[in-house]
Amino acid sequence: MYLEVENLNVNLGEFHLKDISLEIERGEYVVLIGPTGSGKSVLLETIIGFYQPDSGIIKLDGKILNDVAPEERNIGIVYQDHVLFPNMNVYDNIAYGLKRDKSLTKEEIDEKVKSIAEKMNISHILHRDVLTLSGGESQRTALARAIIVGPDIILMDEPFSALDVTTQAKLTSLIKDIGVEYKTTFLHVTHNFNDVWNLADKVGVMKNGVLHQLDYIYKVFSKPANDFVASFVGVNNIFDGKIVNTKQNSVTVKLNDNIQIQSTDDEYCNLASHEVIGENVLVAIRPENIIFAKSTFESSARNQLKGKITKIEESGPIVNVETDVEGILFKGILTRNSFENLDLKLNGEVYLIFKSVNVNVLDSYNTFKLS
Amino acid sequence: MRSKFEILVISITVIVTLILFLVIGSMFLVTTPQGFLESLFSSEFAYSIWLTIYTSLISATLVVICCIPMAYSLSRLDFPGKWFFRIILDIPMALPEIVVGIALLMFLGNYGIGGMLDSIGIKFVFNTLGIIIAEFFIALPYAIKMLHSTFNYIDTRYEFVSRSLGYSDFETFYKITLPLSKQGLFATIIITLARCIGTFAAVLFVGGGILHKTDTLSITMYLHLSTGNMDMAITAGIVLVIISVITIAIMEKYAPETYNQ
Repeated sequence: MYLEVENLNVNLGEFHLKDISLEIERGEYVVLIGPTGSGKSVLLETIIGFYQPDSGIIKLDGKILNDVAPEERNIGIVYQDHVLFPNMNVYDNIAYGLKRDKSLTKEEIDEKVKSIAEKMNISHILHRDVLTLSGGESQRTALARAIIVGPDIILMDEPFSALDVTTQAKLTSLIKDIGVEYKTTFLHVTHNFNDVWNLADKVGVMKNGVLHQLDYIYKVFSKPANDFVASFVGVNNIFDGKIVNTKQNSVTVKLNDNIQIQSTDDEYCNLASHEVIGENVLVAIRPENIIFAKSTFESSARNQLKGKITKIEESGPIVNVETDVEGILFKGILTRNSFENLDLKLNGEVYLIFKSVNVNVLDSYNTFKLS
Repeated sequence: MRSKFEILVISITVIVTLILFLVIGSMFLVTTPQGFLESLFSSEFAYSIWLTIYTSLISATLVVICCIPMAYSLSRLDFPGKWFFRIILDIPMALPEIVVGIALLMFLGNYGIGGMLDSIGIKFVFNTLGIIIAEFFIALPYAIKMLHSTFNYIDTRYEFVSRSLGYSDFETFYKITLPLSKQGLFATIIITLARCIGTFAAVLFVGGGILHKTDTLSITMYLHLSTGNMDMAITAGIVLVIISVITIAIMEKYAPETYNQ
């Protein structure tokens, strides 16, 4: 494992990082996501050495970093608002880290700065005052400044938040290329899901100083560790229930007297009946996994529920539809085209159909499922 | 069309400023040009100006040398009892200057360490050294306060980034923090110098207010005012006003971000 953080606790008075553990392989791109104030930036600044942990270990390539000064960790950082040195022009900002290396001649530094500026497409602004740059130019300069010294890992603190969508897309593509070319390891914090889809190999979800889950994207989005992660990653249907049956790799959860849902969540299916029957749980269903139909039909989907539409909200190319099924509100998403084809109306009847594999059963006490 | 509120606040500003201007300006009317020039070019006055500049430059230099590390440590670092040191350093600003002067006189004189220092031939009171010490202790808390605010104003992430690029804490301070503080530092130097030049009560007590020996401009003004030599006293006052005007002008010109906005 390349970067390892074990049981990290940081107490900053009003804010605590609590028992954070994570592992990142060399060359991986990990995105940490979470609401504002969840501790993402503090975690980065602790890894780089600006905050001293109260307990826990930070290791990079097997070496414990806790007592290593920030300048000796070889970890780069790029901030949302770039933090370019205002007393230097673009060239001097990029060359700053290289000038520390006394073995490099002025010509060698010049060659390296011009080479990276060309890759970053900022050769034409090297002489410019950093206060006159656009957001995209500033962020390219900040990236160039971090990359040019060859850090073992680059920490990115919401690097795209202050940029327009077009610039974000260009920089995303640039960072992907950098990752491939320099085999750089990235730890990137954001509250923007697009960064996850576009860049991440793995995604972590944080809130209130706790890392709730860190795993491959599909796992976090399809099998969230707890109800916070589920709701944060867009699983809008989270209901209380009780396990009433288990058989044939399937578990049945009763939501109320009239609704039972089947799930093939392997964590519960693999347990013996007497261990799980009667246990209070949460069930989570992503809205996009619910199929709307005017009538039932033969399919492999084991869950088919009849309900009444209580809310229709149009949002660009999609339509959000809320359906009351025996007193429980299910949220689903349709494309505008599907919505018009089905001719769905407010207070109209509709069938909600979803596969048992798409029903996640969560421990209602929210204990972590991550090993 | 200005609102009543705008007219009110502008009127208060104009009236109070004009009164202040008249008060300062009236000093120029008390003496005659002949009396002013005679006093200005007298040997006694030349000594006073020389002593003022000499002691102020030394004390201001010492203040700046001390206040940079002190303000940096209070702004950036945590250490045991930091709150205590901050309070102690702020106290002289809240105290009347005369109290600081008496305290210094007691400490450096025969009630304090004066007797012991006398025995090894060092004397801190009633001489030029006393003036420098008095000016140093009066100006230091203000200088620390100003520079502390300057350091606080600088985003620590500049320093974080510098450290992440391989620079040690001292190198980062020298290459990043200090250059980014240059306007605040410049303002601190000018204010410190002005404060040292204008220090009165503490200099009077520790320096002794001895004519031709420890009479800086403000002491000269006081001594001649008490003996009725108005030309000399007013000339010293006018020179102090001119020094203040020059100080403010330099500040306005070279520290625009700190003082013009």
